[in-house]
Amino acid sequence: MADSDVQGMNEVPDELKDTVTLTTLEKMIEAMGDLLSPVVSPIANAARSNSVWPLTFGTSCCAIEMMSVGMSKFDISRFGSEVFRATPRQADMIITAGTITRKMAPALITLYEQMPEPKYVIAMGACTVTGGMFNDSYSVVQGVDRVIPVDIYLPGCPPRPEGILDALLKLQQKIRTESYAERKKKKYRQNAVRQVDYDTGRPLEDLIDEARFETALALDPLKSLQEKA
Amino acid sequence: MSETPAAKPPEEPKGPGLCGQFLKDHGIATNRLPDSCGVETIEIDGAHLEAAMKLLRGSSEIKLDYLVAVSGVDSADTFDSVYQLWSYTNNNELIIKVRVKKTDVVEGQLPLVPSLSRFWSAANWHERETYDLVGIRYYGHPYLRRILNVWDWDGHPLRRDYKQLVDSLNDKAPGSFR
Ligand code: SF4
Repeated sequence: MADSDVQGMNEVPDELKDTVTLTTLEKMIEAMGDLLSPVVSPIANAARSNSVWPLTFGTSCCAIEMMSVGMSKFDISRFGSEVFRATPRQADMIITAGTITRKMAPALITLYEQMPEPKYVIAMGACTVTGGMFNDSYSVVQGVDRVIPVDIYLPGCPPRPEGILDALLKLQQKIRTESYAERKKKKYRQNAVRQVDYDTGRPLEDLIDEARFETALALDPLKSLQEKA
Repeated sequence: MSETPAAKPPEEPKGPGLCGQFLKDHGIATNRLPDSCGVETIEIDGAHLEAAMKLLRGSSEIKLDYLVAVSGVDSADTFDSVYQLWSYTNNNELIIKVRVKKTDVVEGQLPLVPSLSRFWSAANWHERETYDLVGIRYYGHPYLRRILNVWDWDGHPLRRDYKQLVDSLNDKAPGSFR
């Protein structure tokens, strides 16, 4: 990530100055930053790791196991994670339960980008880890880590509910070892790996490259063709 | 290891079946194909499809009034549009194939087959799916648009000559687990 992004983090952009208010506590924590972190982090992390609210997101068969883990037999609420939210704006974590197709990928990215930070991803099932049994399928994204950053990989087809609980415990461990200041500085990637265009389902970078090339072609045909060759 | 015996070629049918005979009586020529799983299978010319369907559906003796599925096959030298019909009253089944020779298809265009969505609204989505995946254009269809893939997908995935596009969502990236 560029330096300017890290430094510009705490500044409210001019056009939003009227509507955004930074509380004094937040200002204080930001000012103290690394100094306060050893004190704040363990407390904040213990609280956060025991209330990881997942997003209700299930695209195929894995979702059945995800539902089962929410029910009383396996009972994910023992780990403080029972509140499946129906909106990304209230969720901390997304379990990508099920196959992600090219058509679904833009929607998944939108959901991920709408979640407030800090946010975590558990890639559940062989489909979202590598494409699984849809290896080399024309319509399936070969691993969800190609579109959003993944914290925990949970293989299996589908994984047993115990597996999901284990993945959740691993995630809680990860949250507990984080530093509040580091996370605040956006040291980890907190945005989608790549954007996918809604209309075409193609990665946006490809489309931008294509548009750039076409513009260059219109302006100076000879030169751009030579460059491409 | 014992060798598995080669599959027997399907038996050639003898004479037209029940529905084939019925259509013949009403002046529509059909060609009987080997039965598929014991179900009578006939091939029919695309131009006669609508008339034949009207007869099969409307007559009281045959009454094939339920369209189970429309599907498509990219055979070696033809594009087949396959219709599966069912009769509740007679507990009877029929499979109809419309075959378009690949040599008849104009270069750069799709094979043409008449749409049945006026008779069965079930055909609407099934034909869209066949268009999407096999690339058969049903003329007379009210809204022939891709249904499974995104609207400007390149090519038809179940075609023999379909080339899968390689981009960042399915390449063998070194950073990925594949
Ligand atoms: S990993 Fe297996 S169970 Fe899970 S969505 Fe894929 S096919 Fe279904």
